[in-house]
Amino acid sequence: MSFLVLSGIDKRFGSVVAVDNLTLEVAQGEVVALIGPSGCGKTTTLRIISGLERADAGRVFLRGKDVTSLPPEARAVGLVFQSYALFPHLTVEKNVAYGLRRMPRRERSHRAKELLQLVGLEEHGGRRPHQLSQGQKQRVALARALAPQPNVLLLDEPLAALDAALRTSLRSELKHMLHQLGVTALYVTHDQAEALALADRLAVMRAGVLEQEGPPERVYMRPESPFVARFLGRANIWPARVTEVRDGQAQVDAGGETFTAPAGQMRTGDKAYLFSRPEDVQPGSGIPFQVERAEYQGDRWEVQARRGELEVLVYVARDTLLGAEVQLSFPPSSFQLLPRESDR
Amino acid sequence: MAADFGRKLDARRWAGWALALAPLAFLAVAFFSPLWEVLRRGLLVEGQWSTDLLRAVLADQYVRHLLSFTLRQALLSTLLSLVLGFPLGWLLTRYSFPGKRSLKALTLVPFVLPPITVALGFVLFFGHAGHLNQALMWLLRLSEPPIRLLYSLWAIVLAHAFYNAPVVARFVNVAWEAQDPALTEAARVLGAGRLRSFITVTIPGLFPAVLSALALVFVLCTLSFAIPLALGGARYATVEVGVYLLARVYVDLPRTAALAAVVLGISLLLTYLYLRGGGLFHTLSSADRRQPTVPLACRRHPARLLWLGYLIPAGVVFAGPIAAVIADSFLRAAPGGASPTLHWYRLALSTDTSALLGASPLGSITTSVAVAAAAAGGALALGVAISASLRAVRSRVLETVLMAPLGVSSVVLGLALLLAFRRPPLSYLPPGPWPLVLAHVLIVYPFVVRSIRPLWQSLDPSLVEAARTLGATRREAFGSVELPLLKPGLLVAGALAFALSLGEMTAAAMLARPGLNTIPLAIYQFLSARRFGAASAMATVLMVVTAVAVLLWERLGRVGEAAEQ
Repeated sequence: MSFLVLSGIDKRFGSVVAVDNLTLEVAQGEVVALIGPSGCGKTTTLRIISGLERADAGRVFLRGKDVTSLPPEARAVGLVFQSYALFPHLTVEKNVAYGLRRMPRRERSHRAKELLQLVGLEEHGGRRPHQLSQGQKQRVALARALAPQPNVLLLDEPLAALDAALRTSLRSELKHMLHQLGVTALYVTHDQAEALALADRLAVMRAGVLEQEGPPERVYMRPESPFVARFLGRANIWPARVTEVRDGQAQVDAGGETFTAPAGQMRTGDKAYLFSRPEDVQPGSGIPFQVERAEYQGDRWEVQARRGELEVLVYVARDTLLGAEVQLSFPPSSFQLLPRESDR
Repeated sequence: MAADFGRKLDARRWAGWALALAPLAFLAVAFFSPLWEVLRRGLLVEGQWSTDLLRAVLADQYVRHLLSFTLRQALLSTLLSLVLGFPLGWLLTRYSFPGKRSLKALTLVPFVLPPITVALGFVLFFGHAGHLNQALMWLLRLSEPPIRLLYSLWAIVLAHAFYNAPVVARFVNVAWEAQDPALTEAARVLGAGRLRSFITVTIPGLFPAVLSALALVFVLCTLSFAIPLALGGARYATVEVGVYLLARVYVDLPRTAALAAVVLGISLLLTYLYLRGGGLFHTLSSADRRQPTVPLACRRHPARLLWLGYLIPAGVVFAGPIAAVIADSFLRAAPGGASPTLHWYRLALSTDTSALLGASPLGSITTSVAVAAAAAGGALALGVAISASLRAVRSRVLETVLMAPLGVSSVVLGLALLLAFRRPPLSYLPPGPWPLVLAHVLIVYPFVVRSIRPLWQSLDPSLVEAARTLGATRREAFGSVELPLLKPGLLVAGALAFALSLGEMTAAAMLARPGLNTIPLAIYQFLSARRFGAASAMATVLMVVTAVAVLLWERLGRVGEAAEQ
């Protein structure tokens, strides 16, 4: 049975649709990343689950119980705010103990210390939030949300306020902690690298609609729409037409060239998008492309090249001597056909 | 708008309006209905609405004199405040020197220093036989006092400038320190000299703050009461003093009401203009970096010692009157000729009823403290309720109604309550200083709201949300998160309310009756009877009580904070 179930959630702000008929399930102990560009409704979804917003329609279930009309304090969800929202008038330990007010005093302090130890801040219990670094504040916010052993932990861009290096190190620490504690978590982010690294499952949102969900590798490798393909990593996407289908392989015309790709559900004459990831394009031999822009990135060259209407992004080994032209080959397995009508 | 969103918004709005109910009811009884009575008396002739009384009053020679004198003295006072205050703001921003922090703190003193003590200080210091004249006669070996300042326009203007120059200085200092130093640096790098960058970048940046300060000072000087009353008398009276004289000395109620209607119009207009203009000041951006300072005393820049040419006379003008009050309370010869003496303090603390005061001096002190405590408590309660409802409901109309007493002059308010306490429902109140308490609550609570609201707005809303997700109800979240964070602001607002009520004399003069006397009134009564020793002792007591209250509140606030640490 799923631990957290959202069914048919709708939410509007005035004339703006924030969440549109969203249905999502999270299993016990699972970490799901809700990912999408800013304004796609992912934070609103978190706020609906925590009870800080009311959905216009749809229901929220936690451990099989309908909590749709419960106030936030009765839901037992942990929420880590993007701004951390640490209480500035309380010490770190009292912040962590805030959600434990129903506990006997001694137990409360013990539990708060336990959580601080978990996040490596046992020495800082007596400090005030303003005396902490950003990374430490983030850990306190996490400890505070985890202390009352919530049904589900909701994280709203928890690493967004940190600098890049700290973000990466805290990311792996967070992942380790979530799995070690077996926490059921919904993680909102607009950072695809963070989502890919942290989550057991991705849910990609776009303009209030759940566009695609699944394990990170599958969503990355097999996007179902150009939007998902572009949102997760870099993508080459060409408008194309299927000219022939045989033995599961399709002959595709794009920009005057003919390519071979797995046919999937495509039939002869269908319009489609031909999608490939830059890392799957093989430089060295094949069709010549004009180099338009090349950027040295240390470990490799990122090259943008063009042949007629076809624009391609490709990675070239760093010791390659780049000329005005680069020859590229496209193995059929590097391609995927995406439906063209569904591109909104 | 979607149904549920609308519903939720409505729920919040309804909660806000419900919160506003109690303050609205209070204001209706204690403010709007009494004010209506004043207008009715000023504009209703034999049951008919008419402007006859109003026109008669405006055609009156004396009233015309009052109006023109009021505006003239306010304008001159504002200009002199700027001239005296701007250099101080400059000094506090650009230079570092020992005692700078204390000097900065001292610029706040006029906000809580009762104006009647300033008036007394001026009489004692600049008076015909005052300390300054005595000193100059001794120094220059003159036989006649060289300074003849008192009971003239200039005495009032100088006292107002004394009172308000620090306000200007503070506005200038705050705005200047908020200015990004990179702006002048950019101007310098772009080739502007020191002077040009000052004129083209620094000064325009200070303009909104200076205008704001001048507007505030102009409003304060127009509606000033104690200083013109004590230093000008009937001849150099402002409209506020005029209303008081008509009501309490000539007891001409219809003319009082008509003049009060005029004063009400002026005070509403000025407050409106000030609040509209005041918005300018708040649009200033604040910089990450502080303005750099340079030392004032420096061998390499002897020219900076020219500042002494400002500091010494300014120090005399500012410190002289206050020092004179404290000195005279000990040094004025007692009836037997003893000096120094504690005679005047024994008098100030005596329980014998004085015919002059209509109460005992100690009785005036206890009344003042009790009224101030009650007014501070009432103003805090009203201020929190109003801030909470204005937080929930964003309505200009509600805000205007709830903050309306801000725009009503104290003398009009005093008159309104004087009339209102003769009729039900207020006449049902048990005997006591209630008229004065209500007047002071109404005068002081807008300041409470103005100090709590910005603080409350600046609280991150996710703090309350975090408390809610951690299991706190809305009420628990208010008690455990919002209230502790608002506490320092509440303490400061309470201290300010207490100090303002303690020094308030306008409404007190309107509402005084035998047995209901306050410290500022006692000072005024002693002063006009030329009993300077008693007046000085009383004024020193007032300053001490005010200072103790302010320091105690501040200490309480700090202790509270320390206990949580």
